[in-house]
Order: sequence, then structure tokens, then C-alpha cells
Amino acid sequence: MRYNILFGGQAGQGPNILGEILGEALVKQGYYVFYSRDYQSLIRGGHNFNVLTFSDSPIHSNDSKIDVLVALDENTKKIHSTKMKKEGIILDGKHENMYFAGRLFKLLCLDFETLNQELRELKKKYEENLKNAKLGYEEETKNICHVKNQKNKIYFLNGSKEISQGAIESGLDVYYAYPMTPATPVLRELAEKQIEKNYLVLEPENEIAVINSAIGSAITGAKVMIGTSGGGFDLMTEGLSMAGIAGVPLVVYLAQRPGPASGVPTYTAQGDLNIARHAGHGEFPRMVLAPGDPIECRELTNQAFYFSQKYKIPCIVLNDKHLAESFYSLKEIPKIIKSQKTISLGKFNSYESTSEGISTEDSKRIEKNNIERLKKVWDIEKEAEKFIQYKNFGKKNSKNLIVSWGSTKGAILDAIQGLDTEFLQILYMEPFPKEILKFLKNKNIILIENNATAQLGQLITEKTGIFIEDKNKILRFDGRPFLADELNLEVKKRLN
Amino acid sequence: MNISTNVKSTWCPGCPNFMILAGVKKALENSGKKQNEMVIVSGIGCHAKIFDYLNLPGLNSLHGRVPPVCFGLKMGNPNLSVLGFSGDGDAYAEGLEHTIHSARYNSNWIYIVHNNQVFSLTTGQPTPTTEIGYKDKTTPLGVKTFPLNPIKLMLASGASFVARVFADIQQVENVIKEALKHKGFCFIEILQPCLIFHPETLKYKNKIYDLQKSGHKKQDFQAAMKKVEEFDYNEIKSDTKIPVGIFYQVQKPIFEEQFPQLQKLGPLGWKGIKR
Ligand SMILES: Cc1ncc(C[n+]2csc(CCOP(=O)(O)OP(=O)(O)O)c2C)c(N)n1
Repeated sequence: MRYNILFGGQAGQGPNILGEILGEALVKQGYYVFYSRDYQSLIRGGHNFNVLTFSDSPIHSNDSKIDVLVALDENTKKIHSTKMKKEGIILDGKHENMYFAGRLFKLLCLDFETLNQELRELKKKYEENLKNAKLGYEEETKNICHVKNQKNKIYFLNGSKEISQGAIESGLDVYYAYPMTPATPVLRELAEKQIEKNYLVLEPENEIAVINSAIGSAITGAKVMIGTSGGGFDLMTEGLSMAGIAGVPLVVYLAQRPGPASGVPTYTAQGDLNIARHAGHGEFPRMVLAPGDPIECRELTNQAFYFSQKYKIPCIVLNDKHLAESFYSLKEIPKIIKSQKTISLGKFNSYESTSEGISTEDSKRIEKNNIERLKKVWDIEKEAEKFIQYKNFGKKNSKNLIVSWGSTKGAILDAIQGLDTEFLQILYMEPFPKEILKFLKNKNIILIENNATAQLGQLITEKTGIFIEDKNKILRFDGRPFLADELNLEVKKRLN
Repeated sequence: MNISTNVKSTWCPGCPNFMILAGVKKALENSGKKQNEMVIVSGIGCHAKIFDYLNLPGLNSLHGRVPPVCFGLKMGNPNLSVLGFSGDGDAYAEGLEHTIHSARYNSNWIYIVHNNQVFSLTTGQPTPTTEIGYKDKTTPLGVKTFPLNPIKLMLASGASFVARVFADIQQVENVIKEALKHKGFCFIEILQPCLIFHPETLKYKNKIYDLQKSGHKKQDFQAAMKKVEEFDYNEIKSDTKIPVGIFYQVQKPIFEEQFPQLQKLGPLGWKGIKR
């Protein structure tokens, strides 16, 4: 079974909360839920919609075809009714959003008490919500499926929350950020817990101040993380380079959205892999880690703290809007490792410097420092091999191999169900696991990315010498994430 | 205590930066603070070489970015005494926004700007405080824009300690001693004539007069705003007198004292927090 419910309306009408309530309730019943948000860069009005997909077996993405359309305004009906399945149901009319919650719960044969419980947890406007929900529940006469408790322990997880959790578990002391979608949810999440968990969250005057303040705090020995999206990251690059030469540990959370420049603020893309790998002038060691689901968000943020402290380097956690703002239901328990605070206050320098931190132009010293930086790169490469740098899914040893990274993972996992293909997900973009060559050799490689220039494809070619044919590149660059059913068709066309 | 290093100085012979260095050393060596409680940050320019000549920890940072690094040090460990050294290029051109916001934040650190009214290390191009008509190889048509008055800007931005001195050992030592006693952000501009690219400003030495000796009340904001008008950074050749000393000093809420997380930290700052 796999059902798709779309909630649409104007900003401010509250489609978010409807989906979250239903999602929470379904997860508690042991169902797998994937819930994503499509919203515009405006505060009131416009058209926002959320899609909730659920199933009794693991899922990680939405489909294009809709079973139930909840239309909080007329516009929603106009825009989405063409995507309805034949037997699909439209819920509309002028009602408060909890009225629709009532109808939905009835449609899925969930008993009213499960809804009541969610409303109680909401706390706000309980009486009013309850009245509306009851009305909807009573008025609905149909049902589309019978949801019953699956006795299945599943967590309803969100990318941004898990990035934050990973940072807290790694011993975060100070988080600096300047607001920028889609990195802001982490700022909000971390800000909320700062007193309870005893760390500090600050918003300096701009991203240049963010990274330079972070470096100031980091050289006192504090564990520091900063967060931004593409435009802010551009502003940080000189500071990144300074962290590189001065040997300052720094975790950088980079949440991608479509560029160039202001691009499309509230939509998704994977266009910043190249800049994450290359930002900052000169040559210095760094890491770039790309999670593909919320559990990996938590684990890779944790690993970023570990590596940045151990090797005194900047370490970038590369996320995107789709993963940062969607909700996933997963069963895995993240693996968290401890990291030390390795920095003691001494003389740090943005110039080449002696071992005492004194500026130098001595040729021998410059060469020595470069070799030390190179050595870090080699040591990191070696140690990274002990970590999960890539993952294999699908049919082992198939002649077809899908390669991808980051948030596309979800749609790919769902799209390849039953297909004759293996799927290789890369998590460590830098250092890059060169050994994946053994999987790529003599395969029909299909590359899937949320960008226009196939940046992972370029990276694979650079590191392994293997070229991926253009006709085998499935690239989406309209700001939207892949949908499982559409992607399934695209993959099928390319299978050998 | 001796906070000298044995690094050979690369400042030009006779550079007033030597006077500043000597004044800073005297103030810090006699401050009663331990060597590992004091941290220095420098920007990029001739002035920034001071980082190598002081045996104190810290960061020789980027052009213009001294304030956020100093701020970050205080957030990492509020128990440190932090001194930042900038040039006028650093403070008023590349990093002006940080200079303004630092005054607004009022975190407890000392910002020292060596103002020679030129970019010296890049061989004498004009900065935001260079006078109209100044020419160098990159500005053969001469500077057309009126200089910024940084003291006025700092007063307007809410700085709780605003001072200007000449690059004289005694003046530098005294003002840093006062700044170390002040709780909150201290802005100190040092008029530091560049002998190579802006030698006319050496005459400042004979034009300065001491605000405190002349009866200026440093807690009086309006009086301070009047005093800053006496020298506009443009009339560098005229005989107008240049007031030096503390223009303004007032107690304002300190940034780091308003965060309970920072109040709990011991001498090592966050480094001492085990989780
Ligand atoms: C981002 C950046 N831009 C430009 C430079 C080149 N640069 C080095 S020193 C300097 C001027 C320094 O002037 P100032 O801060 O007044 O210091 P001074 O040399 O006069 O002491 C410049 C522009 C740089 N290092 N970094």
C-alpha cells in the first residue's frame, strides 16, 4: 500500500500542522510516513502545499499522483486536481483546518481518540480545534483504507532537527548563524534548546562576522558550528581559508537551495557540491560530508565534529532544502562517537607561520607547512576508510548501477523497488572513497542529481577516470525534488 | 613580566608603530594580568605586524576582521582580556560594519586602530580617512571624497569608551590602562603618522592637546559630540588643534554578562566544559 495526501492553501492557513498531526498519528500506529513541504518565499497568501505519503512498508519520498487532496482554498483545487488518481478524493469547502483533520482521520479509519490525543499535544486552541475536528469526523462517510496498529517502533524525523541533535550530542559549545533559508530551521532548533543543553547561539551582523567570530571562539578550545546557505557561504570563504591555514576546527552546516545568487530561496537543489569542495583560496585540507536522510544528518554532523577536532580542519556538512525540511520515518538508531577538544589557546596565524605562530616568508617553512597540510589530507583519507563513506542498496551485482548523493536517496530507494539495479549512495564527498571504482567498472551507470551540471558525475570522473554517458544522467533542476513514480519511469528507460 | 619576542621588526626605521608597541607593552606588563589571560588579534597591514612582536596568544587574522574575531574570543572565554589591533584600512574600509556593530554590542574588549590615513603596506593608497586632494600612484587625480570622522561614528554607534591618542609611548600606555579598567567595548584610535606615505601628519604631534587636562567631562555625551568636530581629518595642514584623550566613557550593559551560559564558565571558558 502507498497513499499520497496533498494539503494545499495559502501561507498562514496552516497546511503544515495538518500534515504533522496526521504524520505523527500514523507513525504512532507503526506506519511509514514521508512528509515534504513546498512553499513560496512569502509570509501570507500565495500557494503552499505539503505532501504526505504513507505506507506499511518503508518509504522515503512522495509520488506525483494524489489519493486525497485537502484544498484549504480554491486555488489548490485548480492547481492540483489534474494530478488526482481516478478514485481520488477531494476535501474542500470553507472550513477551519482541523475540520479537515477530522475528515482525514475518518477516511483512514483512525479512531477519534488518536486525533484527540494529537490535538491535546498541540496545546493551542484545544477546545476550538476539537469542535472543528469532531464536525469533520462526523460528516465524513467514506473511507479509503483501514489503518490499524502495525506494532512497529518508528521515529518521525526531520533533517534539520537531526543536524541539531547531532551537534548537541557532539558537545556543541557555540553556534553562530545569520538567517538564511533553508539553514534557518537548525538555527531555530538550536536556539530553543540552548539553555537546557547549556551552549550558546548567536546571530552576528553578517556571515563574514559569523565565520570570523566562530574562529575566535574555536581557538579558545570551544566546539563551534556555523550554519548558512549558498549566498552566505560565499561570504564566508575567506574565513574558511583562514581556518584552513591556521588549523582551526570548525563545523560548517551548508544547506543548499537553488542558485546562482538569490536563486529560488525556498526550493531545493544540489548545486553547491563544487563550491563546498573548492571554496576558499589556496590549498588546505577540509572535509565535505553529505547526508541522505535524517539519521545520516545526525551521524555525519557528529563525524564532522570528530574529524574537525582531531585534524583541526573545517568540515562541511552539505544538506539541502528537501532533506532539511522534510519529515522521514526511520527505524535505525544513529551511531554517535565521542570527540575531544583538541585546541589550546596559542598563537594562530592567517599568514604562513613558524611553529611558534610567527609570520614567515621562509621558503623552507612554506614548503614544510604545505607538506603538513597535505599530510593531514592523507591521514584523513586513511581514517575515513574506517567510516561508512558510501552505501549500497538494491540488487547486488546487477549490471545496472545508480549513483547519487544527498537527499535524492529517498526517491531513488522508492523508485528502484523491484527493478534490476544496484544503488550506490556516496556520503563522503571529500575525502572521496576512490575504492568505489570497483563498483563502477563495467556497469551501466545511471547518475541521478538535483542539479544541471552533474557535479557528482564530474567528481567521479576526476577521482576514478570513469565517464558517465549524458543519456544516463537523470538531472532535475527545477527547484523540486524527485518523485518516486516519475523517477521509476526515468530509471526504467535507462536499464540494460 | 616581559611580553617581547625576539622577532626582528620589519617596520620602517623611526615608524611611530614602535612607540605604540612600547606603550602597549608597558601597559600590559604592568597590568597585573597573567600572560595567558591576555589575547591579541591583529588585522592586515603594517600595524598588524605587532602580533609577531608581542609574546601573547591570539590570531593574526584577516583584513578588516579583527572585531568579529575579538568578539568570538570573548564568547569562547569571557575571562580573557582581549586586545584587537587594526589599521584604518581594516577598521574603516574593509571591516567598517564590524566596527559599528562592535560599538553596539558592547562586549568587553579593546579595539585599537592605528590610523595613518593611508593603506601603508600596499604602498600608500587612500583610505576612508584620507584628506581631499591626496595623490598617490593609484589616484593621480587626487582624492575627491571627504574623510570619515571615526570618533563621531563611534559615539553615534553607542560605544561606551571612545578615545583618541597620538602615537606616543606615554599616551598609549595611559589610555590602555584606562581601557583595561573600563567594563565594555573600548574604542581607541591612535594617530600614527606614516613617515613614508603621509609624513605631513607628523605635525599632529605639535597640534594635539589633552582633553582631560582641558577640563572635558568624559561622561557628557553632548560635550563629546562637540569635541569631535574640532578635527575633521581633512584639515591636516592647518593649525587647528587636535583633541586627544578620552572623549566619552559611560557604563552600559555588557554583552557577555547577559547570557547565563557565559556566566557559568570558569577560567578556561567552554574548553573547561566536559560533556
Ligand atoms: C581581503 C583583502 N583585501 C586586500 C588586502 C591587501 N591589503 C593588505 S594590507 C592592506 C591595507 C592595510 O591598510 P591599513 O589597514 O590602514 O594598515 P596599514 O598598512 O596602514 O598599517 C590591504 C588593502 C588583503 N590582505 N586582504
